[in-house]
Amino acid sequence: MGQKVNLTMKRSTARILTTHAGVLAGPPEFADIDLQVRTGKPYDMQTYEALRRSSIVKTVRRQAEVGIDIVSDGELGKSRGYPYYSQRITGIEQRALKPGEVPVTVRRSREREAFGEFYEYLQKIDTRLAVPPGTRLICNGPLVHKGLGKLQDELDTFRAALAGVKAEEAFFPVIAPGWLDHFMFNEHYPSDEAFIFAIAEILRPEYKGVVDAGFLLQVDDPGLPDAWPTFIPAPSIEEYRRYAAIRIEALNYALEGIPEAKVRYHVCWGSHHGPHTEDIPLKHIVDLMLKVRAQAYSLEAANARHEHEWKLWREVKLPEGKILIPGVVSHATNVIEHPEVVADRIVRYAGVVGRENVIAGSDCGMGGRVHPQIGWAKLRALSEGAAIASRELWPS
Amino acid sequence: MAHSVDRILTTHVGSLVRPPELAEFYRRMQDGETYDESAYAECLRASVAQVVRKQAQTGIDIVSDGEYGKTQTWSRYVMDRLNGFEFRLLRPGEKPSAGAASLTGRDRETFPEFYAEWDKTQQGVSLRAPGRWVCTAPISYKGQALVGRDIDNLKQGLRKANIDSGFLPVVAPGSVVPERKEEHYADDEAYTFAVAEALRSEYRAIVDAGLTLQVDDAHLPFAFERMVPPGTLADYRKWAEMRLTALNHALEGIPEERTRYHICWGSWSGPHSADVPLRNIVDLVMQVRVGGYLIEGANARHEHEWRVWEKVKLPEGSVLIPGVVSHHTNVVEHPELVAERLVRLARLVGRENVIGGTDCGFAQGPLVRRVHPTVMWAKLDALVEGARIATQELWGRKST
Repeated sequence: MGQKVNLTMKRSTARILTTHAGVLAGPPEFADIDLQVRTGKPYDMQTYEALRRSSIVKTVRRQAEVGIDIVSDGELGKSRGYPYYSQRITGIEQRALKPGEVPVTVRRSREREAFGEFYEYLQKIDTRLAVPPGTRLICNGPLVHKGLGKLQDELDTFRAALAGVKAEEAFFPVIAPGWLDHFMFNEHYPSDEAFIFAIAEILRPEYKGVVDAGFLLQVDDPGLPDAWPTFIPAPSIEEYRRYAAIRIEALNYALEGIPEAKVRYHVCWGSHHGPHTEDIPLKHIVDLMLKVRAQAYSLEAANARHEHEWKLWREVKLPEGKILIPGVVSHATNVIEHPEVVADRIVRYAGVVGRENVIAGSDCGMGGRVHPQIGWAKLRALSEGAAIASRELWPS
Repeated sequence: MAHSVDRILTTHVGSLVRPPELAEFYRRMQDGETYDESAYAECLRASVAQVVRKQAQTGIDIVSDGEYGKTQTWSRYVMDRLNGFEFRLLRPGEKPSAGAASLTGRDRETFPEFYAEWDKTQQGVSLRAPGRWVCTAPISYKGQALVGRDIDNLKQGLRKANIDSGFLPVVAPGSVVPERKEEHYADDEAYTFAVAEALRSEYRAIVDAGLTLQVDDAHLPFAFERMVPPGTLADYRKWAEMRLTALNHALEGIPEERTRYHICWGSWSGPHSADVPLRNIVDLVMQVRVGGYLIEGANARHEHEWRVWEKVKLPEGSVLIPGVVSHHTNVVEHPELVAERLVRLARLVGRENVIGGTDCGFAQGPLVRRVHPTVMWAKLDALVEGARIATQELWGRKST
């Protein structure tokens, strides 16, 4: 690849482009077998693989149909558990929880303490919620990557699915070091820092693999904000920023050598349907976010806890050449955003950072958090709203 | 009608999640089990006092009884208070009508798979007796004792909490069995005016007792998605206009400043893809002779409609009570978002003409919870805090 090509990723030069945060609902026929695989139950490999591929084809086409410009593979077949990671790295194990342990960090938080009854109730009524497993994923040896075979297969599947589909660009999400440690607990490395950098080391080839394959890399990092409520009692903002800074440094290490124009960075405050009253305000972490070697930053902006944060960009300057991807539709409500609501949100951001620096996105992934019918209708509302905003921002 | 004279006042739409001990009485009633009537009366009185105190502590300025006295939903409760109706089970193949049992509409037709899944997660929305109310005899009011009890309970609660502004929500004529069949009355108009005539007794009792009357009319906007298509917007407006004329008839002689009118597009947390735009009905809504208008404004389907007020003038002397927190999401509104929503409206209609409110109630029936009660109270906290921030911005100083 030449050095001078792609100094920028595609941006909203003549109209507002649309994208989303990555996870989408696959077709219904994929859901059952996917659950088997995710939860480590026996399944027929051949059936699964065939269904995964055909489902990704359908999911990519459907994004184009509803007017999404920058598409993903829907992250079908990805998960964050042992069955998924054990195929990629060594040095990990799944073990039974000891008394008082949680399977993932976000299962214990100041918000869960403040809203204990609510969470019990939610677990009862929300049929989509997985029952928390009695196990956790641990790192109990040196982390070593097993090779990129699995990733290559995912990338090849995505590329094949893109054939003949009209899309401006394609992105592929991979987890950030500072998020993987929400699901994988250190029982081997001598310090938090050593552990995070070891994770960065194994993610590095994945990041490079995605970009080498010609895709935009999206680094998913809900961890940057959503670790905040998991510290009990609440740390000071400064203490938290130190914790977060290590993770940003490790991420930048893993991104070394990759052009910024190939990277977008996604942060959110956790996609769970909770009150989010303990979410750390964006203003406390925005400078850390902007340190990440990425051209675009995707962040929540369409739910009731973060919608007002567009105002922050009056004070914080988006660095030259960078792009914001605010969420303008959200998984936090079944109500489908009115396209005019979407347009209002886009225009507000365009007003503070410039229309060419805004790509319209979603708060977080739609898959699993709302019914598939709703998720897709929201993406359509997103593209309809972007069209309205484009007419307003580029008056002919 | 109270105005936001020197700060943004707060209120809500009325229904609040019932405490478990009270809900248990309603469950028994719904299931046809026996219960101790005096224990129920006492539990109701104590629960209302408690919920009034809690609203006052939260900082809500104009409080309700939580609609704790209603044995059925916000609209069907009135069947305990009107003569002339009987309940009939559905015949096989017969579709339930609006206000009778499970609803149908264009949104449900567009998202059947979503609703099939979602319906199962909804607690307290009883589908147990699929049937409908039929008017078989002349309508008259018989609810004097019941509304009297609700008034007494609320006033007692206000006294104990040492506050003076209370409102009682009751149903609008157009939301009482809005789709008739096999009726005693010759036509819709005769029927609706008979309902209005009867409801006037309930409206008057509330106002005469010194409380603010809130008239709830969710069926008014909702009827649109059941009529159009094949009907047209003009058909729908004609339908609505007659209902609002009937409402004004019921309100005759009642001072406007003691009344407010609530519309929403139905409180269920569905896609709401077929909701009629506010701009298509706002002129009709403004014809209702009341002192305040409570309209959804905090959810993703209606949040942009604050712009309607760039063109539409609020009737002289009345207040707008927009929803600035919503039951449609568990996410608790950030107080700064609440403030933003209030301030942009205050700039359009005048700060003294805006009171902070909610999209809808939080419990449209005795066993319904649109959000968990802990989330509901956190949202009311956010409403109060957001109104404080808005006050600061609009009056350039801290409120007391």
